[in-house]
Amino acid sequence: MFLYVIAYDIPCDKRRKKVADLLEGYGQRVQYSVFECQLTTEKYQDLRRRLRKKLNLTEDSLRFYPLSRHTLSQVESWGVGPSVIEPPSSVII
Amino acid sequence: MQTLYVSQQNCYVCLQKETLLIKQGENIYGEVQLPLLEQILIFGSSQVTTQVIRACLLRDIPIGYLSRMGYCYGRILPISRGYRQLSRYQQQLSPIEKLITARAIVRGKLKNSRVLLRRQRQKRESEVLEKVLLSLDYLADQAAQAETCERLMGFEGAGAAQYFNAFSECLTNADFVFSGRSRRPPGNPVNAMLSFGYQVLWNHLLALIELQGLDPYCACLHQAHDGHAALASDLIEEFRAPLVDSLVMWLINRKMVHAESDFEFNNGGCYLNDSGRKKFLKAFLQRMTEEIKIDNGEKQPKWDILNQQVRAFKQFVYNPSHSYQPYRID
Repeated sequence: MFLYVIAYDIPCDKRRKKVADLLEGYGQRVQYSVFECQLTTEKYQDLRRRLRKKLNLTEDSLRFYPLSRHTLSQVESWGVGPSVIEPPSSVII
Repeated sequence: MQTLYVSQQNCYVCLQKETLLIKQGENIYGEVQLPLLEQILIFGSSQVTTQVIRACLLRDIPIGYLSRMGYCYGRILPISRGYRQLSRYQQQLSPIEKLITARAIVRGKLKNSRVLLRRQRQKRESEVLEKVLLSLDYLADQAAQAETCERLMGFEGAGAAQYFNAFSECLTNADFVFSGRSRRPPGNPVNAMLSFGYQVLWNHLLALIELQGLDPYCACLHQAHDGHAALASDLIEEFRAPLVDSLVMWLINRKMVHAESDFEFNNGGCYLNDSGRKKFLKAFLQRMTEEIKIDNGEKQPKWDILNQQVRAFKQFVYNPSHSYQPYRID
């Protein structure tokens, strides 16, 4: 399980919305165009595959930064915004 | 294993983009990210929309429907799971290969029950406990040599009777009286918790068995009848004491559950009510996410040992000369 920081620049409103909606399912939004996702390799591949279908690579830019557990503990967050994402866990309603 | 447990009654689960919303009227009880989910368990009478069902089928997320006390009515699975390559190998297992595995399972169960009691002996002295420890040892040895499945079931039954006898000695909270196992329906709060815990665990095992592509109806110890998923019943044996019984003991002795307010009586039985069910599931989950060291020194959540055992069984099916080794605590 890695923490992935995913940042994008997408000029088209429609595509940007679709990408953001998809990423909402996999992680949490930490800034306007930056998401944090804690994913297994399998889920990460899954996300990449689904993202790829929504992009136009001649106009859009996406960056994926994997963070290992070692560097994760050194992540700092300043100012407003949510804290660093926790690994997904079960939910009881 | 990330699971959504809907134990609240009369909710409905609906889909909004990549998120599941669990609602009651306009009230939103929770939001869950669908892509990260591995299983949904619905306890009682909550609704799931067709959109959610379709999204789950597309993503291989099983939805289990259980009664409020945890009895599994059935599950929704994608149709592609119907093709079972492995099941042919499973059906080709010889009676002796099955018997050897069944022996290992019963022995493993009795040994794990014994370890749980042995740990209790350090806290209190009891003649009953001493006697039961001895006879569980004896029965485990006998089980390892049983000639037929019927005899094996006999040893298992005798072991269980002895074990629950000693189990009641280990309950220190006077609000909970336990004089032996009763089920269908469970007769008192202790039995209600045991039954509920076994059902939740059984259902998880069934899901894992399905995920690995094994045929749940083809087992070694239990007979499949009337569509009973016997393999889940086989594999749960080794986990009963370490995962469920010890949790029930802890919940009672630490006074985490209350005999009055967490249970309800109906139809001649005793069941966990809404608050009790939530407490139990919460404690169960917390235990299952605790990390333990596995053989190769790596740390894994307890969930993973269930998966490991299902995988071990799969290996045994592919290669029956490597016998199946049940999970052991010590």
